[in-house]
Amino acid sequence: MTEPSFRTPAHWYDGKTAIRREGLAVWDGAGGLRLEEEGEPPVTVDLARLRYQETRRHEIVYSAADEADFRLVMPADMPPGLAAKMPAKAEYGSWIDRIGLGRAAVGFAVVSAAAVALFVTLPEWLGPMVPQTWERRMGDAMVGDLGNRLCHTPAGDAALAKLLNEVDPARDKVRAGIANIDMVNAVALPGGQVLLFDGLVQEAESPEELAGILAHEVGHVRERHVMTAMLRQFGLSILSSGIGSNVGGGIITAASLSYSRDAEAEADVFARTQLARSDISPTGAARFFERKLEEAGGESENAVTGWIATHPASGNRARAFRESAVEGKTYPPVLTDAEFEALKTMCEEDDDVEDFDLF
Amino acid sequence: MEYQDTDTDSAFGFDGTWKEFAPIAFTNLLLTIVTLGIYRFWATARERRYLWSRSRFVDERLEWAGTGMELFIGFLLVTLLFGLPFVLINFALQALAMRGEQAWAGALTLVLLLGGLYLVGLARYRALRYRLSRTRWRGIRGGSNDPGFKFGFSYLWKTIAAYIPLGLLVPWSMTSLWNQKWREMSFGPYKFDAHAEAGPVFARYLLFYLAPVVIFAFLGLLGSFAPTLNAMLEGQDPTIGLVIGLLLFLFIFYGILGIIAVAFYSAFYREAVGSTTWGHLQFSFGASTMDWIKLIIGDAALVVFTLGIGWIFLSYRHWKFFMIHLEAGGEILLDELTQSTTATAKHGEGLLESFDIGAI
Repeated sequence: MTEPSFRTPAHWYDGKTAIRREGLAVWDGAGGLRLEEEGEPPVTVDLARLRYQETRRHEIVYSAADEADFRLVMPADMPPGLAAKMPAKAEYGSWIDRIGLGRAAVGFAVVSAAAVALFVTLPEWLGPMVPQTWERRMGDAMVGDLGNRLCHTPAGDAALAKLLNEVDPARDKVRAGIANIDMVNAVALPGGQVLLFDGLVQEAESPEELAGILAHEVGHVRERHVMTAMLRQFGLSILSSGIGSNVGGGIITAASLSYSRDAEAEADVFARTQLARSDISPTGAARFFERKLEEAGGESENAVTGWIATHPASGNRARAFRESAVEGKTYPPVLTDAEFEALKTMCEEDDDVEDFDLF
Repeated sequence: MEYQDTDTDSAFGFDGTWKEFAPIAFTNLLLTIVTLGIYRFWATARERRYLWSRSRFVDERLEWAGTGMELFIGFLLVTLLFGLPFVLINFALQALAMRGEQAWAGALTLVLLLGGLYLVGLARYRALRYRLSRTRWRGIRGGSNDPGFKFGFSYLWKTIAAYIPLGLLVPWSMTSLWNQKWREMSFGPYKFDAHAEAGPVFARYLLFYLAPVVIFAFLGLLGSFAPTLNAMLEGQDPTIGLVIGLLLFLFIFYGILGIIAVAFYSAFYREAVGSTTWGHLQFSFGASTMDWIKLIIGDAALVVFTLGIGWIFLSYRHWKFFMIHLEAGGEILLDELTQSTTATAKHGEGLLESFDIGAI
């Protein structure tokens, strides 16, 4: 007979039937726990193979490593001598149980903050490192050949080429086109493709306005913003799929939005540099933003819709462009009246241009 | 005594308290936030371990034997096998639309929608199978040998068929899917069986179905009193009367429709559970429409008045609701109860098990 401090009433199930076995659990003095039931031969389970399963209100449940469904239920207030032999309780999961809830929470928080920071800033570094040819191939796969949805006339094409030549310094020009879409908008697509929408061309009052906007979009391509944005989108979608709640996603979106504002400012700087280099008046672009501002009814960012919304406040942009003009200087016109007119009538005169019913 | 505070007249009992649950819920919330959500799988396992351990069937408690790790692995598998292709198909869809291939884009969208519906059916089946296979009672468990791919197709066509005759077959599709699902499930040596019928719940459904017409007719009648209302508001801007009328209308419309929808669902659930058997046991579910409404209003109040924090107690409330209204009658021959022979993978239980959606 063992001392009372190493025995306790218990019940158990063999995992093969639902029959309840009831009796005593007794430490055998070595590495085993003997389960004794009246009228039955005792069963000995290896203490090393017992696993803590869960705590009930007044009971603790153990399982066995080699028999998945064996269950031993012992009173929670079993003698301390016996309790010391039993496997330790688990609560949060093995890592957290080992180092404690407080320290684990702080550790996880630090790692998570680092992960978010990494996912938001890494594209900034990686984006420019992706070879241009890869980006072009990827962009072509996504966007495809825009083909007949771009407006073409011989005179218009020539005017656009001239305009592009003025604002894109690289020998290998970006691909630019005027899309048959009646919206005041312009986009830089993946693959180094820049589109001015016909609605925007119609709205422009001078070729200098178009030159400013085109230079801005070319800036996005040259500064590799599109690739960076795509990488960021990809990274964030991975991160947010792990989060699965809107709160964390909102924080990350907000974080990435500030970066997109930085990108817009960068593209503006690029545009002003190009305009200055090619002797194009920056007041055209300034006038365009001022008009947008008036239409929106004053200096309120949120009221402005379309591509301008993700861009820096129109008022500041207009000022920056206006101030970049050299005082007292007269700039030569970037396009002749005839060339500007050719751009304006390009979509109207192109008979076989297709509608862009995507938007 | 272990069960002194449970209602021992019933085959099922629940003796959990929110005070015991709160430390679990709050630490789960904390760990889920600091791990950017990754802990939520372990949180689910902890929550269920508590809820199951405070639930009694006849003379022994239930036990949740599932782990957070297997839920997490299941999530990774689902992401890889379904999430990634979904992203790629979306890319293809954009590319097709950009190229003006509207017909192909439309066809692909349709395939995506049908595939999604199939997966919802499959996931619901798998979630039930997973839960039964991870539930221990007296050392035995449940499960199913059918992986549920057939059920996915049934779910797909029965859901679509339900809406073809203007939605009138919805009760049929709900009850027949319930039967089909439960007939594949077993616990220990016995299979479940279910014979839910659409007939007994159809009247309630028709009530829900026709309610909008009735409400419109009634409000039309009220509208004829509009001049009276206008007279009462005399001197005021007539648009105020209009706005008040509109708000009143929306309130009545959605309020009544919501209550009728709950009335239908509670009837459906009583019918479905009440026609389900296991061995010689017959289940029943005692929650009335009023009980469901109280549950929903309680949920809403809890979430709103705690500014959302109360949300972490909803799983507790729902499980308690389920356990205290679940009943079983008949006899159990304990000597006959042997371990389930259904297939169960030691690691991760296969694929969609952990795509664990649906009510707790």
